[in-house]
Amino acid sequence: MTTSRVATPDAAARRTRGAPLSERTFLAFLLLPGIVLLCAIVLYPLIRSLISAFFDENLLYPGMTFVGLQNIIGVLTTEFGPLLTQTLIFTVGATVAPFILGLALALVLNQTFPGQRFLRGAFLIPWLIPGVVVSFLWMWIFDANYGVLNGILLSVGAIDSPIAWLFQTDTARVALIVAKTWNTFPWIMVMLLAALQTVPAELHEAAAMDGAGTVRRFFTVTWPHIRGVAGLVVLLEFIWNFQHFDTIFVLTGGGPAGTTNTFATEVYDTAFKGYDLGHAGALGILWMALLTVLVVVYVWLSERGEKGAHR
Amino acid sequence: MTTITATPITVLAEETPPPAARRRRRRIRWGTWITLAVISLFGFAPVYWLLVTSLTPSDQVFAFPPTLFPKEVTFAHYATVFGNEAIFVYFRNSVIVSVITAVLSVIVSMYMGYAFSKYRFAGRKSLMYFVLSSQMFPQALLLVTLYLVFAQFGLLNTYLALILSFTTFTLPLCVWMLKGFFDALPDDLIEAARIDGAGPWRIFHSIVLPLAAPGLVAAGLFAFVRGWNDFIFALTLAGPDRQTLPPGLVNTFISEASTSWPALMAASLVVSVPVCIAFILLQRFLVGGITAGAVKG
Repeated sequence: MTTSRVATPDAAARRTRGAPLSERTFLAFLLLPGIVLLCAIVLYPLIRSLISAFFDENLLYPGMTFVGLQNIIGVLTTEFGPLLTQTLIFTVGATVAPFILGLALALVLNQTFPGQRFLRGAFLIPWLIPGVVVSFLWMWIFDANYGVLNGILLSVGAIDSPIAWLFQTDTARVALIVAKTWNTFPWIMVMLLAALQTVPAELHEAAAMDGAGTVRRFFTVTWPHIRGVAGLVVLLEFIWNFQHFDTIFVLTGGGPAGTTNTFATEVYDTAFKGYDLGHAGALGILWMALLTVLVVVYVWLSERGEKGAHR
Repeated sequence: MTTITATPITVLAEETPPPAARRRRRRIRWGTWITLAVISLFGFAPVYWLLVTSLTPSDQVFAFPPTLFPKEVTFAHYATVFGNEAIFVYFRNSVIVSVITAVLSVIVSMYMGYAFSKYRFAGRKSLMYFVLSSQMFPQALLLVTLYLVFAQFGLLNTYLALILSFTTFTLPLCVWMLKGFFDALPDDLIEAARIDGAGPWRIFHSIVLPLAAPGLVAAGLFAFVRGWNDFIFALTLAGPDRQTLPPGLVNTFISEASTSWPALMAASLVVSVPVCIAFILLQRFLVGGITAGAVKG
C-alpha cells in the first residue's frame, strides 16, 4: 500500500495540499450544507441573544439601547441565586437518581436468565415515549383529585387527605425529578450495559476463585471497566438536565410561585411572556457561562478517552 | 450493544462451591430479583396506567378508590381522539415535518459525516467539536433569537421553520453515526475506484453510499423521532394550523378547565406508537449509534 488516506498529520497535510482542485471543491460541497445550517440555526441566534444582554431590547417596542452591564447586574442581584439553586436541585436529582437505577438495572440485565432479552427491550419504553407524554402521564398520576398515587396512598391509609403534589414546592420538585428519572434511566441502562459487556468474563472468574465477593468484584473488576462510560453518561445527563425544558414547562410550569423554575423555563418566560429580550439575554449569558464549563470538561474527557482508545 | 448475549460469569466457580460461597450466591440471587422487581414496578406501572386509563369508561376513571383493574373496556376515548379535527391536523403536521426532517437530515449529515471520516483538512477537529457541542447550547435561549429571525424572513408558522430547526439539531448525532459507518469502509476501496478513474462525486454516490445504506436508514429514523418528539420549537415557531402533536395536545387538553384524562391518555398512546415502531424496526442500529455518538465524542 503506497498511499494511506488516514494516519499522521504529516500525510494529512500533504494530502490537502497535493489534492486536485475537484477534490477540494467536493470537500467544500460536503461540508457546506451542514455548516450553513449550524451557523444559521445555532451560532447566529446564540451570539445574537448574548448580545441582547447588553441592550435594553423588548418585543413590545422597536430598537435597542445600549445599557452595558445593567441587565446582568440586575439578574445577579435578584433571581440568579434562587434560580441557580432550583436548577441545581433538578439537575443533580434528575442525574443521580436515574444513574443509580440505570446502573442497578444494567447489572441485573447483564446476567443471563430467561426473559432478559425481552426485558432489555421493554425497559426502553419510558425512554422512547415523547417527553410531552411523559409529562402528561405523571401529571395524571400526581393529580390532586383523581390521581392514582393519592388513591393508593389513601386506600392503604398512608395519608389522611389527598396531597396536591404539584402545588407544593417540595413535592413538586420531587415530582419533577421522579418524572425525569422515569424517562432517563433506560438510556443510562443501555449505555452502561454496553460498557459492562466489555468486561472480560475471565477476570470475574479469576476474582471469584480468589474468593472475592460480589461487592468486592464490582469495585475491583467491573467499575474500572465502566468508569469511563459512567463518567461521560453522568456528565452528559448533567448538561442536558441543566437545560431541560419540556417536563418542567408542562408538569409544573415553574410553579408553585416560580419555585421550580430553572434557567430554561425562566429564559422562555422572560422572552415570550414578558417580551424582555435584554433580560432574557442576561439570564442566557450567565447560563451559558455555567454550561460552557461543563461542556469544556466533557470535550476534555472525551478527548482523553479517545486517546486512550487509540493507544 | 443489546444484541450481544452476556456470558454467565460464574461458570467456573460453580464446579466446587464452598458452602459459604453457595449461601452468598443464593443471597445475591435474591438481591437480583428484588432489584429487578422494584425497578420493573417503577418502569412499567406508569405504562400500565397509561394504557388502562385510556381504556376505562369515564365514570370508573374518576372513582375512589382508583380502579386498578377495570371491569369493562371501552374504546370510546380513542373514538374521541380520532374524531377531533384539530388533532387530525396536528397529526398530519407531525408526519409532514418529521418525514421531511428525516430526509433532509440524512442528506446533510451523510455529506458531512463522509468529509469527517475520509478527508483530513485544516480545522477538521475544531469543526467536529463545534458540531458535537452544538447539541449542548440551551435551546430555550436559541429560540428567543430564532423566533425573531424567522419572523423577519416571514417563516413563522411554516413547516420550513420547524424542518430547518429540527434538521440542525439532529446533525450532531446523525453526523457521528454516519461517520462511524464510513469509518468502517476500507480506504483501499476508495483508492481502487480512484485509480480506475472515478471522480470523488462518483465514488461517493455510487460506491460508498450503497454500502452505508443501513446507516442512512438508522440516521433517518433517529431524525424522524427527533422531529416527532420535539415540543419547545413546535410550540413557539408554529401557530395552531402548523403545530405538531406534542404542543397540539397541550393546547387541546391542558388549557381546558378540567382535563379529560382518559382522552389525553388515549392521545398520548397514539403519539407514542409511531416512535416505538420506528425504534423496533432498527433497534440494533439505533442503540449502536446512540452509544457511538454520545460516548466516543
